[in-house]
Amino acid sequence: MMQFRLEKRREPSRIMLYATPVAAVLLTMIFGAIIFSLIGFDGLGAVREIFFTPLTNPYKWQDLGVKAAPLIIIGVGLSIAYRANVWNIGAEGQYIMGGLAATWVALATYNMTGWWILPAMAIAGVLGGAAYAAIPALFRTRLGVNEILTSLMLTYASVQLIYYLVRAPWKDPMGMGFPQTRRFAADALLPNIIPQTIVHAGVPIAIIVALIAWFIMTRSVFGYQMRVVGAAPHAARYGGFSENKTIWLALLVSGALAGLAGMLEVAGPFQRMVPGFPTNYGFTAIIVAFLGRLNPLGVIFAGIVMAITFVGGEVAQTTIGLSNAATGVFQAMMLFFLLAGDILIRYRLKRVSPQGEVHP
Amino acid sequence: MELIIAIIVTVVGASTPILIAALGELVVEKSGVLNLGVEGMMLVGAIISFIVLFTTGNHYLAILCAAGAGVMTSLIFGFLTLSLSANQTATGLALTIFGTGFSALAGQGYSARPVTLLGPLFPAELATHPIWRVLFGYSALVYFSFALVFAVWFFLKKTRAGLILRAVGENDLSAHSIGYSVIGVRYAAVAFGGAMAGIAGACFPLLLTPQWAERMTAGRGWIAVALVVFASWKPFRLLAGAYLFGLVMTMELYAKASGGPLSVIPAELWAAMPYLATVVVLVLISVRRDASSNAPACLGRPFLPAN
Repeated sequence: MMQFRLEKRREPSRIMLYATPVAAVLLTMIFGAIIFSLIGFDGLGAVREIFFTPLTNPYKWQDLGVKAAPLIIIGVGLSIAYRANVWNIGAEGQYIMGGLAATWVALATYNMTGWWILPAMAIAGVLGGAAYAAIPALFRTRLGVNEILTSLMLTYASVQLIYYLVRAPWKDPMGMGFPQTRRFAADALLPNIIPQTIVHAGVPIAIIVALIAWFIMTRSVFGYQMRVVGAAPHAARYGGFSENKTIWLALLVSGALAGLAGMLEVAGPFQRMVPGFPTNYGFTAIIVAFLGRLNPLGVIFAGIVMAITFVGGEVAQTTIGLSNAATGVFQAMMLFFLLAGDILIRYRLKRVSPQGEVHP
Repeated sequence: MELIIAIIVTVVGASTPILIAALGELVVEKSGVLNLGVEGMMLVGAIISFIVLFTTGNHYLAILCAAGAGVMTSLIFGFLTLSLSANQTATGLALTIFGTGFSALAGQGYSARPVTLLGPLFPAELATHPIWRVLFGYSALVYFSFALVFAVWFFLKKTRAGLILRAVGENDLSAHSIGYSVIGVRYAAVAFGGAMAGIAGACFPLLLTPQWAERMTAGRGWIAVALVVFASWKPFRLLAGAYLFGLVMTMELYAKASGGPLSVIPAELWAAMPYLATVVVLVLISVRRDASSNAPACLGRPFLPAN
């Protein structure tokens, strides 16, 4: 009988580093088709609609861009934080606070016009997200409180803050009782960059953010600090990098980017603040960051892959009646396969005969 | 008087799922494993128990199936982190994302369909007087949670198996070198944590609101994880912590009924209170420095023996 054994590699495999995300996507399609067939759905159909229809149907390309943009922006921020071993999982809350801060500017400038309104909203969004991420940063650096739990708890609290604001102080007086703000004035709305489509300015901004982040992470002391503190905290301390400063930077940058994504969403697709503003982008971006190998360029591709599953999930809902919750299952499976495959970066599979002798 | 009784009964109900899930996670963490997938496993338990209850009408079968589903879900985590030494934090997050998606998918078409709550364990004659209701008026899940506090304490402190489990969590390499199966013990602990999270999830449709709603656990799994830190890995402190949170969650009821100054607080702030309280509690206990020193030494670290 043939057996396999794991043998430690002398150094991590770079091929596997880039091969495992691809393998994870392929395995998700294969296992997804099998599992969905077993539980009584059209498994192959689900995989086709979720993974291929968004790519083969040109009408869906604009949706892909619009969905990928926030995922890329938030995913880039999270990949920087995770590189430094800072587990910000409250990006959804920081996204919400960015959206709320931008909404506040839009409502305060409702009767004004000017090119400066959108930049002011963007600054408010960035500050809102960063300020909300500063809370876990403060508690982590001052008191050693785990940032996973605090950042997540603050997300649940921020959802309630939306409900409160749109039901009472920010409620649209002409909204016929709907809990939502008024539609933003024209100067507070993101321009469309391709006529006749829904593609807004957030799409190129996402790409630019990823490119800048890639440049900074690979070419600057800041990026080096993030990577060293995450990979070898002891060496970093000897090298004079402050761990607390890194935690602050990691949380502020990831919070600021999540806040920017929130501003772009509220001024773009939503055009007003509504109770449905929490869209789970902040949580899905966790998968995006990992699938992109915590590398801003990889995050662009991972963001597009995840946008495909979102758009495909909507397609599958209308064409084969599959709940869009199926998307979440596919996304989680992808992350499972990716994490499982990571063992191949550090180990290689060796064939072993029963006598225990190793064949190369 | 009636109001006080009503509040006690509500607090007990709200605390029970957190207590059960947190006790499971406590055992997992004592073995040196950090499973952040509690929320996801609870959602799987909630939907499985709902479906079983809806189709069979049998509450106890529903609880059993929720436990089984929790075990199955936790073994995905166990396989990835223990057999493939994947990052425990990332895998736990993945498990929560999976549980959220799976429960929403499986629960498609079950929302707004009513079931009946699990009734009191003792005959109604025992609980006629209000005072007796406080003691005998609960369902079996509540008494199970009390028994579980004692059982977990007894197991960890007084049994040989508990000693081995703690040894594995404190020093995996030593435990390995004297011949204990570190991976085996951790698999067992993870499976137990999964079963408890599944039962905790079953508390939602069986004990609290007799229906299925997506994400109906609303972060209680995360609060359970936080409570383990709060209780510095001690079962009886966990009991106190869970009831404190149950009280925070039901304070709105009391504030509204009393009509005092607290009743002007908007509903949204009340709804945010348990999460804000969790942050406050985490901050307060970290001021007391000894709390974190109580953590199992190997918590969250993969077991990598030199071959």
